[in-house]
Amino acid sequence: MKQMIISLLLSSIIFAETRIWESHSAHLLPQKRWEVGLFQPFRYGYSENLEYSVYPLWFFVMPNLSIKKPHKPIGNFATALQYDLVYPTPLLNMIAKKGIMGIISPDFQMPPMVGLSATWLISKNMADMDITLNSGLDLGFAFEDLDSRTTIDLPLVYHRLGVYYNTWGVHAGADIQKNISEKICLLADVDLRLLPGLKGSYSVEHKFLLSWHKSETFRILTGYKFVMGDYPYGSDMRILPYLPLAESWVPIVELQWAGKKK
Amino acid sequence: MKKIISTFFVLLILGCEPFVTQFPDSSDAVIYEAADKTAASYDGGNIKVVTWNIRFGIGRFPFFGDSCGDSVILDDSSIEKIMAAIADSLNAIDADIVLLQEVDVASKRTGYMDQVQYLLDNTNLNYGCYASMWKADYIPSDGIGRIDAGNAILSKYELADAERIKLSLRTDQKSHVKYFYLRRNIVKARIPELGIGGKDLYAVDIHATAFATDDTKQKHIDKYVETLASIHDGGDYFVTGGDLNSVPPGSVTDFCESDMCAGEDYHTEGAEEYHKEGSYFENFNGEPDLLLPLYNAYDAAIDSSDANLSSHFTHAPSTSDIKYDRKLDYLFTNGSWVSGASKTHQDAWELSDHMPVSAVFSLGGE
Repeated sequence: MKQMIISLLLSSIIFAETRIWESHSAHLLPQKRWEVGLFQPFRYGYSENLEYSVYPLWFFVMPNLSIKKPHKPIGNFATALQYDLVYPTPLLNMIAKKGIMGIISPDFQMPPMVGLSATWLISKNMADMDITLNSGLDLGFAFEDLDSRTTIDLPLVYHRLGVYYNTWGVHAGADIQKNISEKICLLADVDLRLLPGLKGSYSVEHKFLLSWHKSETFRILTGYKFVMGDYPYGSDMRILPYLPLAESWVPIVELQWAGKKK
Repeated sequence: MKKIISTFFVLLILGCEPFVTQFPDSSDAVIYEAADKTAASYDGGNIKVVTWNIRFGIGRFPFFGDSCGDSVILDDSSIEKIMAAIADSLNAIDADIVLLQEVDVASKRTGYMDQVQYLLDNTNLNYGCYASMWKADYIPSDGIGRIDAGNAILSKYELADAERIKLSLRTDQKSHVKYFYLRRNIVKARIPELGIGGKDLYAVDIHATAFATDDTKQKHIDKYVETLASIHDGGDYFVTGGDLNSVPPGSVTDFCESDMCAGEDYHTEGAEEYHKEGSYFENFNGEPDLLLPLYNAYDAAIDSSDANLSSHFTHAPSTSDIKYDRKLDYLFTNGSWVSGASKTHQDAWELSDHMPVSAVFSLGGE
C-alpha cells in the first residue's frame, strides 16, 4: 500500500505537464504563474504538481478553495484530480433578506454547509484540438436542518446548490479548445450535473467562447453560455448572460490577466 | 462555421424567453380542464355564481405583501390543507361559475402548485381559463422567486373565447419596481351552453389595483365598465365580479389607523406616507363613488343599500384582529339576480383575507 502511494506521488511529479490558459484541462499552470479573470478564479501554479485556485471576490462571503494535482498519464492522456471545497453559508445568509436582492425568503436562516467535489480530468491533443473529459462526485453537508423552501430556482444556481439538499450528486463534461490562428482560439464545453432523487435533478450547461490572446499575460474572451435543465417547476432553458430589464441576451465579455511570481 | 452560427441562433431562440412576461392589450387566456369531469349538462335552472379572492391558498398567513407580517413562503402541507378547504367550500356553495382572484399556478411561494388544476380536480367544476397578473422567472425581492399568479374563471360548463384583457400599469412606481410588478387584467369567457334565447352568456372576472396611489384604479374600473358595456351593447348577457379593491359608495374610506402595523406611522405630518397604501380610498377625485356607474347600470348581487352592512363585509387584512371590516368584492349582471339568494360567505374568513360572495343568476331575463 505504502509503495502504491509513493509510486502515485512520484508519478505525479514525474509526469506533470504544464500549460497556460487551460483552466479546465488536466494540465497545471507552470510553477509560479498566476491567472485571474473577471469571472474566473485566481489560479496559481504553486509547484509543478500542485495548482490552487480561489474566487477572490467571493472569498470573504463564500470561502472557497480548489487544488489540482497531476496523476500518471493513461496512454497519451494527461490526467489530474481536482478537489473543491466551498462554504456558501455567509453569502446565502446575506441574500436571505427583506426587500430588493432578497433572493431567499427572510423567514429562513441558512445553516452551516460545506460542499466538497472531486473531479477526474483527462486531456489529450487530437486532430489539432485540445480535448478534456471530466467526471466527478459532489457532496453537500448541511450541519442543521436545511428547509427545501430555500432553494434558489435559477439556472446555474439551482443545481450547484442542489447538492446541499440532496447530499450528493455527480458531474461530467467535455472541453474542446482549438487554435484557429496564433492569437485566436475557440473554446467549447458541455457539462452535465445530476442530482439523483432531487426534484429538478439535472442540468446541462454548454459554453462557446472565442478567445483572443493578446499576449501570455492578457486575453479577452467572448461568447455565450446555454443552460437547460429540470427545476422544481419543470424544465427550462436559457441563454446567458441575459439582461432582464432589457429582455435581451448579451455576449459574455471576459478579461483575463496572468503573470509570474518572481 | 455555418453549423456553429445556426446552433447559436437555435439556442438564442430557445433560451430567450422574457424574464418578466408582459402582455398585449388582448390575448388568449390559458384553458384548463378537470382530469375527471363531473356530469354537468345544463337543465334549464338558475345559475349560481361566486367570486372569491383566494389569496393563493395561504389563508391568514402573515404574508409580507398585504398584511403586517413579514413571511413569504408557507409550507406545502399548510397550503394543501387550505386549498382542500377552499375546494370543500366551493363544493358546498355548489356554484356553476366561479370567478377567482389571486390564484397561483407556478409560484415558488406556494410550492409550484397549479391551483387552477387543483380546484378543477377537487370540485364539481370542469372547465377553467386563467390569465396571469404576475409572471416572472424570478422576483429578486423578499425571497419571492419565480411567480405565476392571476385570475381564473372556473365553470361546470365548457368555456369559449377566453380572453385576457390588459389593465393599465401603475404610474406611481420607479421603473425597476414597475418592471417586476403586477400586470393586472380582466379575464372574460363565453359559456356556450348557457346561451339564453339566442343571446350569449359571458363570465367576466377582474382584480383591480390595490395599492396604487395614483388614478390607476380609475383606469381599471373604466376599462371594466367598457368591457361590460361592450357585451351589453352587443345584446348579450354577463355575470361578472371580482376583487375591485374599492369600497361601496357611502363607505368609510380611511382604514389607515385600523390597518396600521407596529412601528408604522400615518396621518402625521412628516410621516413617510401620510396614508397607508391599500387602506385609503380617496386617492383621487371621485374614488369614493368609483363604483356608482356599475351600481347604476347593472344589478348588484348585494344592493348598494346593503353593501355597507357588516354582514356583507368581505375583507380585513390577514393580521388584523378583525375578521372583516369592509366590502371589496362584488358581483354584477346585466340580467338579474334572484332576489334574496345573494350571500357573503363570512364563515370562510379563515381561508383567505377575502370572503366569497355568491348570487343566483335568474334565467328569466332582465
